[in-house]
Amino acid sequence: MPGTQLLMTFPVTATSHSIADYRARGGYATLMKVLETKTPQEVTQEVTLSGILGHGGAAFAAGRKWQVIKLDDGQPHFLCANADEGEPGTFKDRWILEHNPHMLIEGMLIAAYALQVRNAFVYIRGEFDLPFRRLQGAVDEAYAAGLLGEGILGVDFSCDLVVYRGAGSYVCGEASGLLSSIEGKRGYPRNRPPRLTVKGLFQLPTVVNNVETLTNITVILAMGAEAFKKVGTPKSPGTQLVSISGHIARPGVYEVEHGYPLKKFLFEDCGGMMPGAKLKCIIPGGISTKVLTAAEIESVTYDHASFSAAGSSLGSGGMIVIAEGTCMVRLLQVLLRFYHHESCGQCTPCREGMGWMHRIIDRIVAGSGRPGDIDQLYQISRWNDGNTICGMGDAAGYATIGILDKYRDEFEHFITQKRSRLDGNLEVVAHA
Amino acid sequence: MPEIFINGHSVQAADNQSVLEAARASGHFIPYFCWHPKLSVAGNCRICVVQVEGRSWVEIACNMPVTEGLRVFTDSDLVQAHRKMVMQFLTLNHPVDCGICDKAGECSLQDFHYAYNGTPSISHEPKVPSTKFHDLSERIVLDNERCILCSRCVRFTHEISKSCALGIKHRGDESLVRASEDGALDRDPYSDNVIDICPVGALLSRQFLYKARVWYLKPTPSVCPGCARGCAVNLWHRKPTWQLKALDPKQNASIARVTPLENPAVNGPWICNKGRDLARIFERPRAEEPMLKGKPVELDAALDAARRLIAAAKHPVALVSSWGSNEELAAFAKAFSGRLAAFVKSDCSPEPGEPIEDDLLIRADKNPNTTAARGLFGDAPAAFPTETDLVLVWGEGFPFAQLPANARIIFLNAYLQPENGHADVFFPVSLQTERAGHYTNFEGVVSGFEPCFARKPGVVDAEAVFAALTGTPKS
Repeated sequence: MPGTQLLMTFPVTATSHSIADYRARGGYATLMKVLETKTPQEVTQEVTLSGILGHGGAAFAAGRKWQVIKLDDGQPHFLCANADEGEPGTFKDRWILEHNPHMLIEGMLIAAYALQVRNAFVYIRGEFDLPFRRLQGAVDEAYAAGLLGEGILGVDFSCDLVVYRGAGSYVCGEASGLLSSIEGKRGYPRNRPPRLTVKGLFQLPTVVNNVETLTNITVILAMGAEAFKKVGTPKSPGTQLVSISGHIARPGVYEVEHGYPLKKFLFEDCGGMMPGAKLKCIIPGGISTKVLTAAEIESVTYDHASFSAAGSSLGSGGMIVIAEGTCMVRLLQVLLRFYHHESCGQCTPCREGMGWMHRIIDRIVAGSGRPGDIDQLYQISRWNDGNTICGMGDAAGYATIGILDKYRDEFEHFITQKRSRLDGNLEVVAHA
Repeated sequence: MPEIFINGHSVQAADNQSVLEAARASGHFIPYFCWHPKLSVAGNCRICVVQVEGRSWVEIACNMPVTEGLRVFTDSDLVQAHRKMVMQFLTLNHPVDCGICDKAGECSLQDFHYAYNGTPSISHEPKVPSTKFHDLSERIVLDNERCILCSRCVRFTHEISKSCALGIKHRGDESLVRASEDGALDRDPYSDNVIDICPVGALLSRQFLYKARVWYLKPTPSVCPGCARGCAVNLWHRKPTWQLKALDPKQNASIARVTPLENPAVNGPWICNKGRDLARIFERPRAEEPMLKGKPVELDAALDAARRLIAAAKHPVALVSSWGSNEELAAFAKAFSGRLAAFVKSDCSPEPGEPIEDDLLIRADKNPNTTAARGLFGDAPAAFPTETDLVLVWGEGFPFAQLPANARIIFLNAYLQPENGHADVFFPVSLQTERAGHYTNFEGVVSGFEPCFARKPGVVDAEAVFAALTGTPKS
């Protein structure tokens, strides 16, 4: 058990996602308590006080985002849960949607109450089948139980929740692209300013939060901000759901308390590397974060400060463990193929740059690398940094620079010898 | 009124302006592809960057609101490096076919490449091929290799013409501008504006395709006579200095293309597709000889015959052209006021299938100067008393069968039409493209046009005919 557990507190059974089981675990009691005893301002204050950071990847303080919404501005506000979980290596929200959807709904209702939202949305990625059915089933159950719709729990508070299925685009996981998609437009991200909390969905103030963040709202209001802050580290309170995959003995979703030692998590909780594999590096939080080598993670603890001190970030919690023997040139090729395929094509640097980098890496892997290719990959990555409408261009640049910085020798070998230095050396085998 | 500083110069910006707008208004140049004064901000081309003082990064000016005391630099080293980067990206897969591109010479990409990049591509990858000669509509050809996906055309059809005829399909560098459904752009009467606002040679006019290099052409400011709006247009024709003898002489005196001339009081920067097709109106076969009952005569003989008819007439009626310029109408009034009962005639009525009227530009009255004509001669419908013995018909469009059977006819027309020969006296008159003048549009805005070509031999200005007819017959 990697530290205190806040979300994964119950055994998963065939019915643990149902409203009956959730109520048996004390579900919706927090909502009732909040509606009866707290004002919307007090809820926002509680969330701000808890110091919870967004769990989607950017780690922006949720309370600060909420405070931008002015309750008396006379406009409708919207709340949207980002369940588009498209970052490769990340599948943590999926656990919530499949096994604890009511906790998300409860968190969203509390948030909707705090932000005075009449219509809330969940934008769920199109590829999620079971998560969608579980979530839609939970929404239907909540409507039947009077927890959604008009006059919730007999109080003067109404909120409707719509589950909106995406069509499978990475960029629609970006908050503004997501809102464009809900509006029925192309999923193009939007320029800031204006921020989404000023002009979001249908040009009205909108809060977009990650599924895990909104689920944690239930926890914060249930245990109180002070108790919540005692979990994790002072700068990163709470826990993080980590989806771990790759050459690891026990891949899956774990709840890790912030500040938990990373090596202990990998080698004790996750059972260490696959049999016969030796740790080469990890991609800590979805492929858009910089890789960390085995040496670099020696003293890293699982929290934002520690990861940024190590030169990367915690990202979305989608950790990929890579064993010695993996060719980083081919790994970068896979990443760039993904970014090329997923670039929305709106702004110039990302649209042209992703395809350009993909063509260069394809050429290197095909054995036609040129001496200047590595520098050109660096240059295109830097050209994308901070020059695009959304973060995707930057993310691709970070990932590329991270791998090139640390494994430049592999690329040079591939270019001069026209083959991978690791050909024939990948000794990792699947579970026997 | 926030005060901002562009490159150290104080600029009084208006509230809600962007830095790009404030810079444009004050004469500071910031390059842009996707931004357009009449369209929403897309912020996707990334070339309009500026650097705010004290910041180590650049930001796009088109989406940067002005704030009091904001200090920006439009030409810092960082900005220059960034522009060079954007040009490298935009020219990555853009074909180097300026030599055969209609846009060459007025292409933003070409200009900015020389201004901000000037070096060959650093890429060693082969250019990625894409669709060429895709027919977006019967009028517009799209070259996807040249397209830089600025989305101006898409935004135009969504925000200005409201036809929503264009969209982008696929994503990333495979994005393609396409019609939202088959024929959608054909149904948009303003579709050709996307050719003008395209910053590169991606959207091309089917009629103008490979017709001329633009630097051999000269724009003459004119007024579109297609409807009562009277949009300001540029008529492009061959420069006098480039009248090549080897060329078909007809090309030296023909309209190569029509583009809008920005006039905020009338049409903004847009015109409709009918305005693009003015050549179809003006380049119909011309009447070039005065005639008496269908027999060609000298101009003097025709004038003399007309004077005699007018002098002899007891109840003459005139049908005044709503295509006459303000100057011609004034000359007509001066020559004939009191002598003829004058009625304004509608020279042109909508053709089958032509859009009648809409909220943007197109007006139901398909004549340019009805307002001025009615101001002088009233708006009563043409009335022929039974004793009418002479009708002066000025301009086309009135069926002779509706004229009183016994009346003699003096006819002024520019085009070769069967009625010309049925008139007792016929004068071939000049076109708008051969003389200067003014039209008054339906809102009372007066706009002027200038001559593009010399008058054809044998053709006479209507103004001169009216002046000559005031004299008394020689015999």
